[in-house]
Amino acid sequence: MRITPSTARTRESSVPWADSAVIAVRGLRKVYEVPEREGGVRAAAGSLFRRRTREVVAVSGIDFAIQPGEVVGFLGPNGAGKTTTLKMLSGLLYPTSGEASVLGFTPWRRDRAYLGRMTLIMGQRNQLTWDIPVIDSYELNRAIFRIPWPEYRRRRDELIDLLEIGELVRKPVRNLSLGERMKCEIAGSLLHQPTVLFLDEPTIGLDVGMQRRIRAFIADYNERYDATILLTSHYMADVEALCRRVIVIHHGSLLYDGDLPGLVRRFSPHKTITVEFEEGFSQAPGERLAALIAPAGEVVEQSAIGATLRVPKAETARVTGRLLAELPIADLTVEDPPIEEVIERVFSSGSSEAPGQDQVAAEITREAERR
Amino acid sequence: MHALMVIRTYLKLGVLNVVQYRANFLFDLLSVGVYLTTSLLSLAVIFGQTQTLRGWTRDQLIALVGIQILVGGLNGLVIRPSMQQLMENIRLGTLDFMLTKPADSQLLASVQQVNIGSIAEVVVGLAVILTALARLGTEVGADGALLFLVMLVAGATIVYCFLLALSTCAFWFVRIQNILVIFQATFNEAGRWPITIYPGWLRATLTFLIPVAFAVTVPAESLTGRLTTLTTLATLALALGFVAASRWFWRVGLRHYTGASA
Repeated sequence: MRITPSTARTRESSVPWADSAVIAVRGLRKVYEVPEREGGVRAAAGSLFRRRTREVVAVSGIDFAIQPGEVVGFLGPNGAGKTTTLKMLSGLLYPTSGEASVLGFTPWRRDRAYLGRMTLIMGQRNQLTWDIPVIDSYELNRAIFRIPWPEYRRRRDELIDLLEIGELVRKPVRNLSLGERMKCEIAGSLLHQPTVLFLDEPTIGLDVGMQRRIRAFIADYNERYDATILLTSHYMADVEALCRRVIVIHHGSLLYDGDLPGLVRRFSPHKTITVEFEEGFSQAPGERLAALIAPAGEVVEQSAIGATLRVPKAETARVTGRLLAELPIADLTVEDPPIEEVIERVFSSGSSEAPGQDQVAAEITREAERR
Repeated sequence: MHALMVIRTYLKLGVLNVVQYRANFLFDLLSVGVYLTTSLLSLAVIFGQTQTLRGWTRDQLIALVGIQILVGGLNGLVIRPSMQQLMENIRLGTLDFMLTKPADSQLLASVQQVNIGSIAEVVVGLAVILTALARLGTEVGADGALLFLVMLVAGATIVYCFLLALSTCAFWFVRIQNILVIFQATFNEAGRWPITIYPGWLRATLTFLIPVAFAVTVPAESLTGRLTTLTTLATLALALGFVAASRWFWRVGLRHYTGASA
């Protein structure tokens, strides 16, 4: 889904090109100037006087539009430009060039009306005051966001209820575990009932159970308030559970924008076939298997009772037929590879300069073929 | 007023949380006690030798010590802890959260941390000032009290702006926690005496480079009836100038931060 600048329509909205989107981004680009020096004392001394800088392109011209109520997964390896983009959208960074519109506001103008309707939650940094009870930090937010008392009490109690943090909010933040703290952070960031949420790895470092609870809460919040959510996470389970749509960036460029199954189709030209042999079939069929799925398929894993094979999509039907005919097979499943694997291959294929979309796909194919 | 409400909330929570830090409060009380004792002892030593120090009598200097403790207490109540926290926020990147809030960032940064223990200094400072005034036998009328209050606020404002400007440097130099220590040491040591006793170059330094003069000496002059109209007006003008300049510098720093941080 790309933005087409609306030329014919003249809307009341301040940014006609954003159309009906809550979050719209056009040609957004951010270049950092980073100081650079060689190792060693002499270079360090020299850099005190003459700072050499190098330009690093963090985000190199991306476009996307997100409609009201959408939950979009924003994926990319470390350093891809995800956080930079989120920071531009939450008004913390000025872009080098390009435009963005969130709720009709230009984020980096930091209009108070805009800031009062969005929130930024970062799993790696906490904003609750360390030494005071959680509930006091909430009260500070009440004052800052000018939430009327009755509203504040109602929302606070609701969030405390939903996140099950009633026991925790009277304790100082430093006495909480990581997971507990994250839940309290989330409640504190939602007291003003924002309709746009930027979540930067909200589940990082949490155990699986806690991750699941936070995920469920985010889904619930999205449903209750029709909130628009842009979420980054390294846990694919988060993305699979919450996001129907994903935007993938790599080296600052947009690689993919669409639904999850589409991502798998696009970047993984293979299917995974898992077979289980009938009991008593003990003869190791390694060579036979390899011969059956030749030339393009490969054996990924093999055990005494079964095997996992990877074959090109087009070959799936033929290979499956041959396997069933030739071997005593008790069970056979054909699946898309796990999403983690696909993502990992998308990213690991990137070279030092930003490759084009097709180049990456081609590289993935080549790499798969080499194996 | 939104700003006042935010400040009030921070202070209220600071007071509510003092019970959590009873030990801290006691140590503050102890340290201000030690400080007061050493100040008074050194005054006793000096006035064992002489009757006046560049025109200041013993009891006038006791008032000055009281003012110094009071200003130090006000400073330690919110300004210093908030500035320390600000530099920490810049270093850790948690300043981001302050900037995504719909309130003035300078205000939030300046009141974010309250060290209620410093109330001890405020109370001791006031007590010392009152004792000194009683010994001086001066009747401070309503207008005298008002002038003193105005000079105190102006002095505190200058100190705040100065510390804010120092802390703002953290946008460029990240690790400069020590800069506040230098100010604190100067304030504690040089501020014990009226700056008129120092040689010219040092007086200039303590007036314009590190504005200890306006924080302590000027309010003390107002209490002891030696403040000239010119100094009064200059202090007010300087306070306003500091407010404007430090705010401008804060905005420059912020632009640098939002333009460059990752």
